[in-house]
Amino acid sequence: MVETRDKRVSYYLLLLPALVIYLSVIIFPIGLSGVLSFTRWRNFVLTGFVGFDNYLVILRDPEFHRALWNNVQIMLTSVFGQIPLGVLLAYLLFRKLVRGTRFFEMVIFLPITISAVVVALLWNRIFSPVGLYTNMVRVLTGNPDYVVRIFENQDWAMVPILVVLLWMHTSLYMVMFLANMQRIPSSTIEAAKLDGAGEFTILTRVVVPSLANVLFISSIFAISGSFKSFDLVFAMTGGGPVNYTSVMSIYLYRHTFTFNNFGYGSAVSVIMVVISVGLITLTRWIYGRVQKKYD
Amino acid sequence: MKPMNQNMSRGWRLFAYVFLFAFTAITLFPLIWMLYSSFKLQGEIMLYPLGWPRNPTVKNYHDAWRMGNMGVAAINSVIYTGFGTFFTVFFSLAAGFSLTKFGYSSSRVYFGVFTLGLLITVNAVITPLFIMQTRIGLYDTRIGVIIPYIAFGLPMAVLLACSYIRGIPDSLVEAAVIDGATYVQVFFRIIVVVASPVMATIAVLTFLRNWNEFILVFILTSGESMRSLPVAINSFAGRLNVNYGMQFAALVIGTIPMIVFYIGAHNLLISGFGEGALKE
Repeated sequence: MVETRDKRVSYYLLLLPALVIYLSVIIFPIGLSGVLSFTRWRNFVLTGFVGFDNYLVILRDPEFHRALWNNVQIMLTSVFGQIPLGVLLAYLLFRKLVRGTRFFEMVIFLPITISAVVVALLWNRIFSPVGLYTNMVRVLTGNPDYVVRIFENQDWAMVPILVVLLWMHTSLYMVMFLANMQRIPSSTIEAAKLDGAGEFTILTRVVVPSLANVLFISSIFAISGSFKSFDLVFAMTGGGPVNYTSVMSIYLYRHTFTFNNFGYGSAVSVIMVVISVGLITLTRWIYGRVQKKYD
Repeated sequence: MKPMNQNMSRGWRLFAYVFLFAFTAITLFPLIWMLYSSFKLQGEIMLYPLGWPRNPTVKNYHDAWRMGNMGVAAINSVIYTGFGTFFTVFFSLAAGFSLTKFGYSSSRVYFGVFTLGLLITVNAVITPLFIMQTRIGLYDTRIGVIIPYIAFGLPMAVLLACSYIRGIPDSLVEAAVIDGATYVQVFFRIIVVVASPVMATIAVLTFLRNWNEFILVFILTSGESMRSLPVAINSFAGRLNVNYGMQFAALVIGTIPMIVFYIGAHNLLISGFGEGALKE
């Protein structure tokens, strides 16, 4: 029985390094932030338990509503912008409708490697008065005084950020969908073509249904990813002007690390996790319903 | 029937070319503009924002490198990314072996706990992590950055490692054990060798994530000597800097290493991201 004891010991020897680090950096802090969310802090010192007060204040704060709405805009752009665009790009490459598909794939995927901070600052320059976009518009419209004003508009301030998000992440979905399209048997496509199906029919009736599972998974990633967005927004606008472009992670950052209110910040992060898990559960439920309908 | 079909597919081809060229242009033009603008001085940028540099100069690079402390930041980036990636790969592979080839029922639970991490963002833990690190003295240290780097790399890495190692025949492990090898020996002599393709994939994906990481270094360090490249670039080229030439140079400094990395590893990256989606 020495062999089984050696086996058990080896099992934990191999598993524990990963497990211990993972539990102590990710799982334990999540529990801790649940506890902290019921506390109040002043000058880095815990001053007492306040029950649900933090939550009540957050949920009534118009600044939080603004941040939440901006996160929703990011989420909608990811799910209904990046994913459909990714499907279309992948399909054009998959069907080899152009020459040099490898070239297009490589170039379009390139932004994925560039840090969000660099991307943010680059696009700030592009939209600035001496920027690429601004001056191209000036040349095209003949108006030498054109400047980008959309940041200052309360309702549309998020648009430049959403455009940059499309620029950055669409190719990720393209690559994921392309890898999955390449697993569709070519005989399936050929059969559809023999039946007289055009490209649009092949795309909507053959390719997209066979991607259902991957589309579902990428929506989940898009939803959970949209709550992550900190670096891009932080480097691009810092949430401003006023709080027009604030998102929940920036709201969290401001309250935790500028006002040093760790309890309040923890409550924000708990709310973020709850919303994210809720949305993912909802997506899963919708997907289950859709699947049942087609089976 | 046939001619109509051909017309339609010609239309699709045209659309494909226009669409893909447009996307390529939108991807490349900003980067090309950034690159050549970095060789222009402030005055020229203000006067001719779109023009090619008339008197190309590397002064911006010299100034940005020195004033932005880019050298220190680059070294820190290498340290954080290097150690973070190495340990994520090593630990995830060991965990992947133990969770798939030992046949213990607890493995399913641990595997579930790891996959849960895919949905957890840094925001959710940054406040308690900051408090914990200030209490145990890891705040503003390199180790205090590297450990979270390892942890946040693990969920995806363990998932990829498990799905690859599961495909290795059990007989390979059993034969070695019957020959008298311990499980730890089996890991170092067999698994590490056989699983090298998935190690490469994990390494490339983790490297990319770590190199571009921002918020952990930004929150968990305060000293300028601890900054990584993204944090240094943000504070140097951020919204308060008005010297555009230097900003462009700083941005190019941040981009070049990744372009080089991309040229070397794009096949692994593309297959890695593709696989990530297949393996759920």
